[in-house]
Amino acid sequence: MTLLLQGLALGVLTGGLYALLASGLSLYFGVMRVVMVAHPAFLFLAAYLTYTAHTAFGVDPFLALPVTVPLFFALGVAVQRLLVARLAPDNLAMMSVLLTFGLALTIEGLLGTFYTGSYRSVSMDYATRSLTVGGVHLPYDKIIAFSVAALTLAVLFAVLVKSRFGRALRATIQHREAARLVGIPTERVAGYGFGVGLATAAVGGAVLALITPFFPASHWVWIGKLMAVIVVGGLGSVVGAALAAVLLGVVEGVVLVTVDATWATMMFYVFLFLTLLVRPQGFFGGRLAHRF
Amino acid sequence: MSDPVSDPMSGPIAAEQVLALEGVVAGYGRAAPVLRGLSVTVRAGEVVCLVGPNGAGKSTALKVASGLLAPRSGRVMLAGRDVTGLTPQRLLALGLAHVLQGHSVFREMTVAENVRLGGYTVRDQARLDARIEVVKELFPVVAERWGSMAGLLSGGQQKQVEFARALMLEPSVVLLDEPSMGLDPRNTQVVFDQIDLMRRAGVAVLLVEQNARRALEMADVGCVLDLGRVHISGPARELAADPRLGRLYLGGQPAT
Repeated sequence: MTLLLQGLALGVLTGGLYALLASGLSLYFGVMRVVMVAHPAFLFLAAYLTYTAHTAFGVDPFLALPVTVPLFFALGVAVQRLLVARLAPDNLAMMSVLLTFGLALTIEGLLGTFYTGSYRSVSMDYATRSLTVGGVHLPYDKIIAFSVAALTLAVLFAVLVKSRFGRALRATIQHREAARLVGIPTERVAGYGFGVGLATAAVGGAVLALITPFFPASHWVWIGKLMAVIVVGGLGSVVGAALAAVLLGVVEGVVLVTVDATWATMMFYVFLFLTLLVRPQGFFGGRLAHRF
Repeated sequence: MSDPVSDPMSGPIAAEQVLALEGVVAGYGRAAPVLRGLSVTVRAGEVVCLVGPNGAGKSTALKVASGLLAPRSGRVMLAGRDVTGLTPQRLLALGLAHVLQGHSVFREMTVAENVRLGGYTVRDQARLDARIEVVKELFPVVAERWGSMAGLLSGGQQKQVEFARALMLEPSVVLLDEPSMGLDPRNTQVVFDQIDLMRRAGVAVLLVEQNARRALEMADVGCVLDLGRVHISGPARELAADPRLGRLYLGGQPAT
């Protein structure tokens, strides 16, 4: 029973992190029908920058965020305006896979050149202990990861729901032509949407640097998991992806402690196949996904 | 693509000619043009109805007029000013609104958010609040369903939300693309009543309708489009009675 609770607790914490890591993917697809294979590569680019800030300048991973978040936002706008916007609209989803696959390889190559292929990690004293509640161990690094993810997602939702930019972005997602007709500069908004997506990667990368060792090709493990999350959640739905992330995190955590690690990882794909068989539009983003 | 037509109808612009398309050639991508020298004029307080078979270029004409599609050649005039190639955002500021075909509400936003977005480009909150009261009065459904998710409304209700959104900035020209499509007779009547109200308020209305007989009954001027050009045009009532029209374009359609 304690074991199950342990799995459940870890699952919720990890699921929260998955929600943050997948939120960018949902934005790209929601706004631009772009399948952004390079998102995890950007996550690890952020992880390496966090690593450098820490080892070279002794900066805490989260104190580097005021630099990396705006930097990644600008990178995102640049990627959208200079590359993605030039793809032909009729086969955008497919071509974007190819384009961002190339980006992912480029980033991986650069990381290998500058950082070599060895494993790196950032270890902070405060992140190594764990909290014990009723026999359940909660590592501080996982609690920090969950808290940062929850806070970032709360800010993201607040921006999407409350701000003028958020309304423009949602309008662009939901009906692009109608958005243009009410005077929304949809191209610019799409660029900013891409920037916001990549800004979440800066935060996610800092968290990853803290909780897991990484090497330049680490991102390949993540793309499958995160894609599974956004398909189960309903492509393009940020809220759906967050719910699916927590669900899959819990399933993974429980299977990990009750069965084994191989099955735990496999659960992502089991849920992916189940979703495609039973409810291809995703479980939480149904209404939006219907339009595709 | 050269301009095949220099249209004789594009004479000097009279003051009341609010919107004019002049010899417009337009199309999508590298495909052959859909519009091949289209000229249409709409005056203040007048409803001009475009009818014609599928693919004649009716919707494309509206997209050129609202800036969604840049023409390859020809001009778009708004209140005597050449506005060819301006963005929808600029044209909106100059008093032009376009209600798209089918459903174009922002489905996962409330009716309130949809209507407020009609005033996205205006920062003057007091002006917007005043306009909201006006459109709520014009469209009681909008007021009744103010907090509802727009995607959950019926087709007729959604159309009224789209009208309300388009009227937020008091446009002087309104483009309507098949506003009665998919609506039951009662909602169709509501839509046509609203068009009549706009006309009386001095708005210039360019209307595209599949329901051609019905539309020509209420319009002032009718233009029959074929292959991207005006084939026949004239006073709408005369056109409705023109046997050529029936033979050419309305034969297969149920008369209503």
